[in-house]
Amino acid sequence: MKVIIIGAGEVGYHIADSLSREGIDTVVIDRDEERLHEVSEMLDVQTVLGSGSSPEILKQAGMAQAEMVIAVTDSDETNMIACLLASTQCRIPIRIARIRNQELNGDCALFGTDRLNIDLIINPEREAVSNVMDLLEFPGAAEVFSFAGGRIRLLGFQIDPSAAVIGKKLFDLRAMEPAFKVLITAIVRGEKLIVPSGGSVIEGGDYLFAVTDAARVRELLRFFGKDTEPPRRIIIIGGGDTGLMIAEAIEQKNITVKLIEKKHARCEFLASRLDKTVVLHGDGTSQELLKEENIEETDFFIAVTNDEEANILGALLAKQLGARKVLSLINRIDYIPIVSRVGIDGVINPRHAALSRILHYIRKGKVLSATPLRDEKAEVFEFIALETSEITDRPFKEIHFPSGTIVGAICRGEEIIIPDGDSVIRPGDHVVIFTPRSAIGELEKLLTVKLEYFA
Amino acid sequence: MKARPVLYTLGAFLFILGLTMLIPLACSLYYGEADAWGFILSFGITSGTGGVLSFACRPGEKKIVLGHREGFLIVSAGWIFAAFFGGLPYMIHGALPALTDAYFETMSGFTTTGATVINKIEALPHGILLWRSMTQWLGGMGIIILSVAILPFLGVGGRQLFRAELPGPVKDKLLPRIAETARSLWMVYGIITAAGFILLLFGGMSAFDSINHIFCAMATGGFSTKDSSIAWFNSAYIDGVFIVFMLLAGINFTLHYQVLTGNFRSLFQNSELRFFLGTLLAVTLLITLDLRLHVFPEIGKAFRYALFQASSIITTTGFVTDNFARWPAFSQIILVILMFIGGSAGSTGGGIKCVRLLLLIKHSYQELYRLIHPHAVTQVKLDNMTVPPDVMKSIWGFFALYIGLAVLATILMSSLGLDMLTSFASVAATIGNIGPGLGLVHPASTYSEVPTLGKWILSFCMLIGRLEIYTVLVLLIPEFWKK
Repeated sequence: MKVIIIGAGEVGYHIADSLSREGIDTVVIDRDEERLHEVSEMLDVQTVLGSGSSPEILKQAGMAQAEMVIAVTDSDETNMIACLLASTQCRIPIRIARIRNQELNGDCALFGTDRLNIDLIINPEREAVSNVMDLLEFPGAAEVFSFAGGRIRLLGFQIDPSAAVIGKKLFDLRAMEPAFKVLITAIVRGEKLIVPSGGSVIEGGDYLFAVTDAARVRELLRFFGKDTEPPRRIIIIGGGDTGLMIAEAIEQKNITVKLIEKKHARCEFLASRLDKTVVLHGDGTSQELLKEENIEETDFFIAVTNDEEANILGALLAKQLGARKVLSLINRIDYIPIVSRVGIDGVINPRHAALSRILHYIRKGKVLSATPLRDEKAEVFEFIALETSEITDRPFKEIHFPSGTIVGAICRGEEIIIPDGDSVIRPGDHVVIFTPRSAIGELEKLLTVKLEYFA
Repeated sequence: MKARPVLYTLGAFLFILGLTMLIPLACSLYYGEADAWGFILSFGITSGTGGVLSFACRPGEKKIVLGHREGFLIVSAGWIFAAFFGGLPYMIHGALPALTDAYFETMSGFTTTGATVINKIEALPHGILLWRSMTQWLGGMGIIILSVAILPFLGVGGRQLFRAELPGPVKDKLLPRIAETARSLWMVYGIITAAGFILLLFGGMSAFDSINHIFCAMATGGFSTKDSSIAWFNSAYIDGVFIVFMLLAGINFTLHYQVLTGNFRSLFQNSELRFFLGTLLAVTLLITLDLRLHVFPEIGKAFRYALFQASSIITTTGFVTDNFARWPAFSQIILVILMFIGGSAGSTGGGIKCVRLLLLIKHSYQELYRLIHPHAVTQVKLDNMTVPPDVMKSIWGFFALYIGLAVLATILMSSLGLDMLTSFASVAATIGNIGPGLGLVHPASTYSEVPTLGKWILSFCMLIGRLEIYTVLVLLIPEFWKK
């Protein structure tokens, strides 16, 4: 089994990492010799120096034996040509391309089987935008993931030191609010992932993962003492593609948004594209500008410049000056563990979002989606329950789940079930399941769904 | 400046203008009136001069190439000559024997102003009346644009002429070829005119009166075959038809073209149209209220006269159903302000034009907004398109020149011994191509009492108003004539 990855940027690197760890032969093509050297030092993959749109280089990379090509360079055109070569010259069965250009979106006939023949289009910026919009909708959460077509949500949020739930055991929570359906799937305390049981006690500063019905997210956040006030004043710094797309999406919700960009020419372009947004020319990390634009009254501050360090520092500065919530775009996965500790309320990670899209696509079987969480220490799967599986048609208390694995929600037709010990999974149900990475092997057997990659 | 292509084009243009005089000639012959000779002579002089001029300056093997400067010169000179040659029938017939009066009347006709120096209109023969209305109809869509549509040799050069004559800050080319664009604009103009003609016939108007009045309404001109204008017919139906067709004429013809070719969406997305209709609605309500309180006790009547007069003035037509000089000052002031606003760009109306005012308001608002957000980068947008800063500058320049020239002309008029109201209103009514003003030139009166020099000043106001200042004024700066 062999996969060719074109482009060794953040996305390419992390896909290569995941695939090679699963025992798949991975070849990485890139034009940057230094970067390739880094990749070959860190990962167990083959590297080829050259352009992904060159047939000669692709032949060198062993395209004839490959079963998948993933083109994730910065250039849409290179990615398209690479996929076209893959399908015309070698008939590689699966082709995935990263396309940033908005006009060439997934519905475009250009990518159909009789044209460029690309199976999956990923657009990290668009993923990031939908991520931001989820966070705007639920301001108290630091992470929001959607399952079952958006009807089930998994939320990640930090418990404030003054919250009423501190010191309570999990089964006490049920007693406090009997009608309230929610399942805590994991508690992260410091660096540790704790598998919760009824007796687990919530402490201040804990980071919780909770699954609930999409309609009750607000209720859930309020219960844990989180802010649910929808934002009315938003400042975005960085007018790149991501910033522009976020501003466009927010405009449609009739929320005032200010967009700060450094380059004047880019500001003019932004002003021509946006209608209600206030486009400001200046440095988004300048105190004067932020004060002039009323940062202390701002509900959300979103830092999405190309400079990650500036995003972190800008967000911290905004928090310091009084912004209610700050989000920061961070691509380097190394930074992610520290940001929530320094006070940033949420992270936008387009590469990560793109990576999970690719993982969904290539996971085999009845798995509908797979979302890596917390530095990939845990994953959340959505899958369709099979009749042959050991977990169907039996109450949960009779099933021996691997340690740490928790069924978060079941979606049966129109109904959303937050399970307890007596719940039963029926064939055909959509099941959202949370599992630490270490338990994936055991879980596979239980589900009789292979959580491996494609055949 | 290349003289030969300019003279050649002007000659061809005069030749066409002469040909149009054959239509009132036919009318005279039909009614068996004595002014037929006047038209035969005028036709001979106009087409003869034009024919000789273009024959003498024929380009030979070379192709005609017209630049910006030639374009401005041809259009300005074309209009100045047209007013002279177009006045010949009045002089020869004796309706207006003096050159000043004939020139004023014809300029007022071609520029679709509608200011008249004739005191007894109903005494004039049919041929002269038809010619009077025809000058308005021809000038409405533009006599030069008509030539561009007809003359095949203009080709690329036609674009310069088209731009110099068509009103509005931004000129969109409807179709890939300029001659096709000119033709389709004239076609739309003709179709709407024909529709209006039929509707007027239904109202019981005679065929002769219908054709004359619809010509003047579509051109937003305002000449009438009756001394008391539309008030003579005293019919709510006819008032209604005129309101509709004056408003149609005050809307951008590009929009009409799009609607006629099945694109209705553009109608709802056009912010200039919304501004135009919104302004009309607002002032109509204000005037209705004022008239209801002080002039007409019945609300229905107040509304009818208010709507008619507001439509007539905002589109710069100048038809009247009631002498607004007798209305309260509040209504009069609103009507004078409407004279400055005018119709839409690309319409037959005059004035500053709605789109310009709309953009000026937007731009001014943004200047205020920038005081609150000193670092904001803003762009003036119209229908989701950014208006380039150069266009904004040219609009501010236009606005300043328009007001400045109106002030200058008012001062000159008052120096001739006219009172303040007459001086101001006569300039406002001519530079905006409306027609009837206030004071000495109120709707029930004429411009015949204005001193000779005053008539020339007002004729010039009409010209710069119709050609939107830049086209004429550019000829007055020395740089224009340098090689």
